[in-house]
Amino acid sequence: MRPDRHGTPRTGPGGGLTRRRLLQAAVAAGLAGPGLAERLARGAAAPALAAAPGSMLRFGQAAADLGTADPHYASGTQDRALVDMIYNGLLRFAPGDSSVIEPDLAVELPRPQVVGGKQVWTFRLRPGVLWHPSEKVPAYELSSEDVVYSLEKAADRSRSAYSAQYQGMTFQAVDPRTVAVTLDTPVSTNLFYPLVANYSGGFIVSKRAVEAYGLDGIKTRPVGTGPFEAQRYSPKDRFTLVANPRYFRGAPRLGGVDYRYMADLFSREAGLRGGELDAIYGDKDDAWITRMQATAGSRVDIFGVGESTVLYFNTSVPPLDRKEVRQAIAYALSREQFLALAGRKASAVQDAPLAPFLPGALTEKEVAARGLDYRTDVARARRLLAEAGVQGGLAFECVTSQLRDYQTPYESLQAQLGAIGIKLGLRVVDHATFHALIRKNTNPLVIYIAFRPNAEIYLRSFYHSASTVVTGAHPDTNFIHYAAVDALIDRARAETNAARQVALWKDAQVKILEDMVAYPMYYTNQVYARTAVVDYGHPLRSEISLYPGIDETTRLRRG
Amino acid sequence: MRKALLARYIAGRLALGLPVFLGVVTIVFVVVRVLPGDPAAAALGQYASQDAVQALRERLGLDRPLPVQYGQYLAALARGDLGRSLINGEPVRGEIAHNLPYTLHLTLLAMAFGIVLGVPTGVLAALTRNRLPDSIGRILSLLGLSAPAYYLGILLILLFAIQLRLFPAIGAGEPGDAVDALRHLVLPAGTLGLVMAAAVARVTRSTVLNTLGQDFVRTARAKGLRSHAVILRHTLRAALIPIVSLAGWWAIGLIGDSVTTEIVFARPGLGSLMVGAMLQRDYTSLQSVMVVYTAFVVLINLAADVAYGVVDPRVRY
Repeated sequence: MRPDRHGTPRTGPGGGLTRRRLLQAAVAAGLAGPGLAERLARGAAAPALAAAPGSMLRFGQAAADLGTADPHYASGTQDRALVDMIYNGLLRFAPGDSSVIEPDLAVELPRPQVVGGKQVWTFRLRPGVLWHPSEKVPAYELSSEDVVYSLEKAADRSRSAYSAQYQGMTFQAVDPRTVAVTLDTPVSTNLFYPLVANYSGGFIVSKRAVEAYGLDGIKTRPVGTGPFEAQRYSPKDRFTLVANPRYFRGAPRLGGVDYRYMADLFSREAGLRGGELDAIYGDKDDAWITRMQATAGSRVDIFGVGESTVLYFNTSVPPLDRKEVRQAIAYALSREQFLALAGRKASAVQDAPLAPFLPGALTEKEVAARGLDYRTDVARARRLLAEAGVQGGLAFECVTSQLRDYQTPYESLQAQLGAIGIKLGLRVVDHATFHALIRKNTNPLVIYIAFRPNAEIYLRSFYHSASTVVTGAHPDTNFIHYAAVDALIDRARAETNAARQVALWKDAQVKILEDMVAYPMYYTNQVYARTAVVDYGHPLRSEISLYPGIDETTRLRRG
Repeated sequence: MRKALLARYIAGRLALGLPVFLGVVTIVFVVVRVLPGDPAAAALGQYASQDAVQALRERLGLDRPLPVQYGQYLAALARGDLGRSLINGEPVRGEIAHNLPYTLHLTLLAMAFGIVLGVPTGVLAALTRNRLPDSIGRILSLLGLSAPAYYLGILLILLFAIQLRLFPAIGAGEPGDAVDALRHLVLPAGTLGLVMAAAVARVTRSTVLNTLGQDFVRTARAKGLRSHAVILRHTLRAALIPIVSLAGWWAIGLIGDSVTTEIVFARPGLGSLMVGAMLQRDYTSLQSVMVVYTAFVVLINLAADVAYGVVDPRVRY
């Protein structure tokens, strides 16, 4: 060991440690790192096709990461938008207008037939539709075998989050291009079409791809028939999609979509204003919308479908089991105050349990005509509380999500209830915890924001006794422990005449308002911002997947 | 002899690090499960029925008793198996391997930035004690220490990315494009580097001031050495010892700050991975990231101790 100038042995020669060696090692590590990063980034998945960077739509979504790309589990907005670009349904909600349903993989809208007391819907498939090629499964033509496999998967509780909606259905491949769906109990087109459209369990997956990759595999390696195919998933960063040149409606005008996961609003806005993103999930706050509308070169899109914000009264918690108390609270509240905080640019008042854009919703006039709009009347609220003998001393404890969309209305509720002497204690928890706790029946007052694709699903989820949290046969989101409209909901589901079905749904809503188990507050539309070069290719009235809808017609008008 | 002592010292420190490591792993394992959120519910979303959630809980093994889950977790960890993400089913090891280099690049460049900016600033402040450059340096370093990294990051984005459009605001650049990657590193590394530079400048200033009064410096001056030689060869060299010893702590701090910086700059990295895993109740990913962070802390502390001996020949192991 060679001594240094001070006579102290170095730890250097022959592999020992010296300052110079330490520095060299650090530099080497720094240089090695980028190479490693590149190799790893490239190695996440083999690219099938390359897209010119300039033709890529760079989209910033409000999420930390992918949840799942298995369409039968996709529920977060970030996942619904992604699978919408990759998969098709037998039918589809028209791009930009979800009130219209049109054929997608099927060549026409089917009409039901009754065979042996059962309802049969027969689909004829488009010829020449190809699945995206993947590492394990080369491109092949869609067949009825795929469709039956996919619908059976959607109906299987171990392979789908939406299985409950497909119970009582059987699926049969009549021939390679014909599929028959048989329902034990007939339903109307209003209820059936959405189940086989491009939403939730209606997305059609490739049998061969699911079998090749497995259920876990298709969470990140989706194989569909849509305008864009999966190229690479980088966890917590992005999902890169490239155009599907064999798409049955024609090759997309975009080269692909760089779908970025960016939970932070400031980052998304900075990306858009800095020219690094083309479109972003925005904010529903009036100030943000105004600022972005005033930003040169940017556009703000506000469109449906809206998500309803409703206050649910947990009738298992005294004294909320008494109608007068619930009505007193309703009269004490002001929708205008809630709306002022939610923002008037993206939100609007909702008087009925179902949002006005849903077929079957009570109109504002119908609610008012029955005197069920519960306009603010604090004196009446106090009188009702006095009659109920609970004036003064009433207090509730609730948890609220830390998300502003929840915390703000809860805080407003706290202030408004304070005006009639009701104390509302709030404990702020993270969003996942909030959802977990309210499903354990912890909250006497539950504010819940939701969209459901039709009146049946909405009413069944929130007002049917089978959906009661903890104690229901299929616990879901009935936080109110309510059973008074079960018969109406069940009758409406079995009603095949659309007009009579709507009447039954309206009767159910009237009963809900009369009993005041839920106080509708407002609904909020979707807000996205984009640069002026983005042309989605269709008008934006409503999109059931809660994003602007990126398809083969979407383009960038650069230069 | 010294080499053998050093090896024994490192082995001893690593052995001491094991219980720390195990303790942290156990705490993280328990804490993430004590939180009320359910990963199966988080994975399936709010539209899923309870039946579907229960089915997924069974498939993920979350219905098993906690001790059983813990035993299985430790056994897998001992084999180097970090498990699969509960949310997307991807191997967590792959996710960490993918994200780790981004965090390393960020923190290493930030450290370099902090030292390159902080040391000269501190030296200049010390040499101009109580004069204008010193006052400016002290005010700037105080500002740097007071400003949270995320706030500084936002200011840099507004100025350099949106107003001047000199550097990109978000992301880590196109994979495979080193120049693009470096451009994307400038602002986030600058953010962290400025915070570190403030701390480095303050420590450098005080240690240089302290060293300037030492006998060997006076002797060097008496020998007639030029001023810059006295500062570079004698003063700064001696002043580096506390700076190097504190570098470990700063590195740990930088890794902590990198979490918020990665979020603000929408960069991939361990911080983004951790925050995403927390939001999604992805137990396995969260545990594994914490394991990596713990390993970092143990190893950085060890490296700092070893480096201390390298820069200061008086240190014995």
